[in-house]
Amino acid sequence: MAGCAGRPGIRGHALIADSFVTAVAAFAAWLGAAAIVLADGRRGLGVGIALVAVGFTVIAWSDGVWVGGAFLLVGGAIAVIALLRAGPQDWGLMPAGSTSRLILAVAGGILSLWMSASVTTGPGASLRFASLAVLALMAGRLLQTKAAVPALTGAAGLSIALAGASQLAPNDPGFAPYLIAAVVTAGALLLPAARSHGT
Amino acid sequence: MEPELAIAFPAVGAVITAILHPRPRAALVAGALLGAAGIGAVLLVAPGLTSDLLGVSLAISAMSRALLLVAAASLALIIAFPPPRADREVLLAWGLAGIAGMAAIAAAPSLDLVILLTLAIAILHAALGGRRSLAARLRAPVLAVALLGVGLVFARLDGSPILARFAAIGLVAGLAAALGTLPYIHEFDPEEPTSASPIAWIAFLGPILALAVIMRARELIPTAGAVFAAMLIGLGLLNVLWGGLASWLTEKGMSAWHYSFMADWGLVLCAFGILVAGGQAAAVLLLFGIVLSRLPLYLWSRQSLRESIQTDRPINLLAAAMLAGAAPFAGFAARLFLLRGATQLFWPLALVIGIGLLLWLPPSLRLGRSLGTPRGRLALGVAIALSLSVAIGIYPQPILSLAGL
Repeated sequence: MAGCAGRPGIRGHALIADSFVTAVAAFAAWLGAAAIVLADGRRGLGVGIALVAVGFTVIAWSDGVWVGGAFLLVGGAIAVIALLRAGPQDWGLMPAGSTSRLILAVAGGILSLWMSASVTTGPGASLRFASLAVLALMAGRLLQTKAAVPALTGAAGLSIALAGASQLAPNDPGFAPYLIAAVVTAGALLLPAARSHGT
Repeated sequence: MEPELAIAFPAVGAVITAILHPRPRAALVAGALLGAAGIGAVLLVAPGLTSDLLGVSLAISAMSRALLLVAAASLALIIAFPPPRADREVLLAWGLAGIAGMAAIAAAPSLDLVILLTLAIAILHAALGGRRSLAARLRAPVLAVALLGVGLVFARLDGSPILARFAAIGLVAGLAAALGTLPYIHEFDPEEPTSASPIAWIAFLGPILALAVIMRARELIPTAGAVFAAMLIGLGLLNVLWGGLASWLTEKGMSAWHYSFMADWGLVLCAFGILVAGGQAAAVLLLFGIVLSRLPLYLWSRQSLRESIQTDRPINLLAAAMLAGAAPFAGFAARLFLLRGATQLFWPLALVIGIGLLLWLPPSLRLGRSLGTPRGRLALGVAIALSLSVAIGIYPQPILSLAGL
């Protein structure tokens, strides 16, 4: 909890602004969300959720939110393990008919980048980009899928992005959003439905 | 009394009731005792007083407290007078789980936590099982979470003033998707158990979630407050029209009930959009009507709907009058407050709402008939629901005072 206590709001924190590390982390988060959009197999979804979790963890750590970031990392790791321990193990990346998904992943990224870097002002463009991109892509994935595991993986990605986005608040959000997000991320993929429905 | 207890008691009650399910009497007693303890905690909690026992500042507002109490009363009514062939222990377990989730949403210190808790509830609710696929059960609530999240992010961005309007759009769209109102009507299967169906969102969890989102949104985007209110009113009128007509004209009886909830929500959204005292009072009374009157009547009518029984006895007409918001039921008082508030705000709006209210008459007669002829304990349950509505309708002030209005 110490990592969260007394943390100044993002607007007064120049470090998060846009170091090379946070920019790479935000890009990784978008890449993970794109993988979740494009993959139907458990390995592809596992890589996606891992990248989303690592991306938001690095952004949180770069803002001094050590405990919160650790929660996200643990939640993401449990989700990945749950995905890789059950069901058929395949990548399922870009199966036939996924052109629309590819367009969604790329267009979502470009639109979020434009919004966070050009339309909005102030420090923290990386976090804005990662939050908007992952929220939008996960919503798209949930609307598109008819299978249980991609839907639950999308929900897990959504919870990580929501916890990460809480850093945008003018006040210290505390550890609660990260803890709840970690529980949701891990819990969603440990549900019997996620383990028994194949992909 | 701390808000933490208002969450913990029902949550533990839900778990114990589920564990004791093979021993029904013990499950009911344990669930009822812990549920009562939770409601006692809600009743004794001082509105607005912050507690920090778990490292998170929790506080329950007066309006949230009132809605929690009415949800508990509705659950008690359903458990005491269960619908035919219903499993009371399962209803109690999921009802208590719902109340724990609602208490957590009510006590959450920020919209971030409200949205994350909604996501957790959506996943648990989807995992309940039912006739629809898990992806279908998850789709609308999680879309709601994403839209609310995007709205929240926009609300916190610096830049053009139009960002606050985008935030308002995201929050209103997310709220509509969470409730299952137009334009995000949840996929509805009439044969699905109520605890796993979208009715749980529109009639049980929805009121407290809507209150949490709307109250926090007003603080979050003060510059777009008028846009936010206008969108609530516009969406509300659309739902009044669509819900009323669909409830009247649809062939399936259970779908008619589903649409009637949408129509009621249309009025609630209009009431929340009318930022004068009358509008807020109307919203509270209408939410009371959804949770305490329409939800129990829907559950009690499911069996006669399955058997295609329709009766025209006095109790059916009384139920129809209550559903239509006729005097002296609570819906009438709510409609008076709404029309008064709308007149204060912009009188043509009152005219439009007034015309819209006529749409309640034909579907309410149909829904009242679908109740069949309640007998024994069920008749007593219907009588209590009608009496409560009359009492609130004749003298709504205690309820409004409880809600801090």
